[in-house]
Amino acid sequence: MKIDVKKLKEIVGEENVRDNIADLYVYSSDASVHSSKPDAIVRPSSIKEVQEILRYANKNKIPVIPRGAGSGMSGQTVPLSGGIILDMKRMDKIIEIRPEDVICKVEPGVINDELNRVLQPYGFFFPPTPSSGRICTIGGMIGTNASGVRSVKYGATRDAVIGMKVVLANGDLVTFGSNTKVDSSGYQLAKLMVGSEGTLGIVVEATLLISPLPKYRSMGVANFSALEDAGRMISETIAAGITPSMLELMDNVAITAVNNAQNLGLPDVDAIVIFECNGMLKEAVEYDMGRVKKVCKKNNGTGIRVSNDPDEMTRIYEGRKKLFPSLSKYREGLFTTALADDMAVPMSKIADTVHEIHVIAKRNNVVMSAYGHCGAGLIHTKILMDTNKKSQWEDAKHAVKEVYDYVHKVGGTTSGEHGIGFSKGPAFKQEKKDSLEMMKAIKKALDPNNILNPHKLMDSPDDWLTATPLRYQVTK
Amino acid sequence: MATKAINNSKHLKKYEKEMNMCIRCAYCFEECPVIKETQWDTDGARGKIIMSYGLLTGELEPSQYIADKLFRCTFCRDCLDKCPSNINILEIISSARADLVKAGYASDTHKHVIKNIKDTGNIYGDTEVISQEREGKIPLFIGCQYLGRPNKTKKYIKILEKLGIDPVVENEMCCGYPMEVLGFREDFEKHKEKFQKSFPYKDAITLCPTCTVFLREGHQIDAKHVLQVMLEKLPKANLDMKVTYHDPCDFSRGLKIIEEPRKILEKLGVEIVEMKNNKENSRCCGGGGGILMTDQDLSGDIARKRIKEAIETGVDILVTSCPTCEQVLKKAAQEISEDEGKSISVRNIEDIIWRGLKKSAEIS
Ligand SMILES: Cc1cc2nc3c(=O)[nH]c(=O)nc-3n(C[C@H](O)[C@H](O)[C@H](O)COP(=O)(O)OP(=O)(O)OC[C@H]3O[C@@H](n4cnc5c(N)ncnc54)[C@H](O)[C@@H]3O)c2cc1C
Ligand code: SF4
Ligand code: SF4
Repeated sequence: MKIDVKKLKEIVGEENVRDNIADLYVYSSDASVHSSKPDAIVRPSSIKEVQEILRYANKNKIPVIPRGAGSGMSGQTVPLSGGIILDMKRMDKIIEIRPEDVICKVEPGVINDELNRVLQPYGFFFPPTPSSGRICTIGGMIGTNASGVRSVKYGATRDAVIGMKVVLANGDLVTFGSNTKVDSSGYQLAKLMVGSEGTLGIVVEATLLISPLPKYRSMGVANFSALEDAGRMISETIAAGITPSMLELMDNVAITAVNNAQNLGLPDVDAIVIFECNGMLKEAVEYDMGRVKKVCKKNNGTGIRVSNDPDEMTRIYEGRKKLFPSLSKYREGLFTTALADDMAVPMSKIADTVHEIHVIAKRNNVVMSAYGHCGAGLIHTKILMDTNKKSQWEDAKHAVKEVYDYVHKVGGTTSGEHGIGFSKGPAFKQEKKDSLEMMKAIKKALDPNNILNPHKLMDSPDDWLTATPLRYQVTK
Repeated sequence: MATKAINNSKHLKKYEKEMNMCIRCAYCFEECPVIKETQWDTDGARGKIIMSYGLLTGELEPSQYIADKLFRCTFCRDCLDKCPSNINILEIISSARADLVKAGYASDTHKHVIKNIKDTGNIYGDTEVISQEREGKIPLFIGCQYLGRPNKTKKYIKILEKLGIDPVVENEMCCGYPMEVLGFREDFEKHKEKFQKSFPYKDAITLCPTCTVFLREGHQIDAKHVLQVMLEKLPKANLDMKVTYHDPCDFSRGLKIIEEPRKILEKLGVEIVEMKNNKENSRCCGGGGGILMTDQDLSGDIARKRIKEAIETGVDILVTSCPTCEQVLKKAAQEISEDEGKSISVRNIEDIIWRGLKKSAEIS
């Protein structure tokens, strides 16, 4: 079906539709390894415009892929069969802030950090805290159920979204959820939308729970010469009923990469754990930090350093903050790729999983790092490889499969926060095999013509490597 | 698995690896003045890197459209500060520009400026625009922007004289920065030799922030901006003024000359009320990277945003230390005054220094 660009321009205005090959190419990729061009990019500025675009697309069975900042790591916004990219960044109004109800209402194009800047004078913040918060949009965070370093205490985006307005595939506008924290009124459709990767509807307004900004915060770091000790320290901290506001692990590959890239002089140990506690009472924060320190010591943590000085805390966190991009500095000629990048496992399995990841990487001639919000059971890995080389992609494919097989075996899940898209499609379908048909039925009920972000999640191709062309040059 | 052919993009080829290291995170969007105006991904640094990659792999054919997009950058350096992968974004953009120019996609305005430099040694194409040669001790590089504003240049030279700095002025020619930034690299290679003959120094003081950067990076001359040199020598004065200060991008994020202008103003009795975005986080005026020549509307939109920020401080004078920033911001201030009735006057720092020196008891 050829897209009627003129019609789209009538809806959103001449300047908000593009179909030049250069724009299509730019919008063909995100932070994943995939690449595939849309037929047009359309930028609505109102609910009415979104409705009209969807009515047109539904009638003509044209795929529509909502997109925020395009920082997704699994190819969620990459259009496998062309169609319209719906760039939501122009819908960026903060509609209202209601501190008395501890909620705010926003349009989907609002950027996470911008929302937090506006909330700050009210003494509140929006807790999910993804590292990409400076550019990622609330719509995108809802799409992927984003979380972050603070999720160990505050939960993920799904925990903070209580209501929303959604434009369905046929252009109808519906309201899901409520304005209350508790809601026992039937199916929780607002929660269903979170993590649906744009496959069920276009979120045009979201009602979010906000949290009071903590008055005190303290950060610490400990080194571990055995990975298992670090893993045990993390699970014992949580099991002891302590609620740190951050509990992050960095393995030796991550440490080496950060040292190479940022020259931070981190110790060459098996693992580093960074922890933070926050709260309204200084004494309570110090008490909790004391308890975390004890758990560190019990598990052979050394070089324990704790501070509540903002500059020192920034220094402690610096390496973790710049970790992902630093990975390409691990070894000359290896580039970091967003593959098998955010599985979650039961807390007690963290150390074993990290250990296994390295065994798998070695067996498959790639390098893998492991780090992440392990306090929430989340392990980030990236595959470091020569992206020019065909054989390395085959190696990566085997490694990815083996990692997920292991994660599923220990009771973990395919994605903890970045979502499925294409890259994790095969593993996701394997993990959720019992519920795939049910998911397909839900999709069909809401989007009978399958126009909303098709070929994702349960409908993703069976082989991520051939699902789309890769965004890298493969020449060797 | 699809494999891609590498196109023959001579300049971009060098950055293939660097482009592979771009994780496509879009952190470079955060404060990019261009994408903030247009909100199109194509206009942010990530978009420009993706297009450059497409040109290199041959997935994109060079076109006027792509050239226009790659020339929509003020070279404000904000993306360099934000990029977690330390990608040399500006080198990639200027390499893409160079390949596009080679493929025949230079704009007529840019071609005209480059021809002017080749014909007359300055961007104006006017053989009358020449520096007044002067014997002295320390080589001073004036640069095209100041050469075109002789009164300002005279003022700066007088200031230097009064402070006991004895500048040598040659019959200089353009440093060649426009050739590099606008993608005329081959012309620059030829020009470089001529320039270095006309300005045969290893150290120099300079008036223009951008020339300061380019003498260092393009010619390996140890260039210092006059503000750095004069800070210690300036006497105190009591101008009793309240101003806001706009950091030129080549100062704030390029050379990190952030405190010197502030200290100079303070020494002269000028109180600075900072804008919301200041120092390293200062916002661009919209005048750099060649955008002023080809995309005046966009440049004006960026400048007006900055002027609005300045007006929010409540003071009625904005001081800057770059003649291009001054020109662009002055125009924006005038437009805002006409449209919204809010006014702020834009001055360059040498005016303030000159007034300070006149007022200072030690000089008068
Ligand atoms: C360097 C880096 C660090 C990152 N760190 C984190 C992290 O700490 N935690 C984390 O969770 N993620 C992280 N991510 C991944 C990514 O930033 C998040 O998934 C983010 O939430 C995506 O937001 P976005 O605006 O870029 O959305 P996009 O990538 O544009 O879209 C994401 C999904 O949401 C859908 N969508 C977008 N808008 C709407 C809408 N209005 N209605 C319906 N669906 C919509 C899209 O179709 C897509 O499926 C990181 C990514 C990078 C590159
Ligand atoms: S230099 Fe400035 S204008 Fe150019 S891409 Fe970077 S941030 Fe944007
Ligand atoms: S910030 Fe750097 S790594 Fe990220 S997309 Fe921009 S250029 Fe690439």
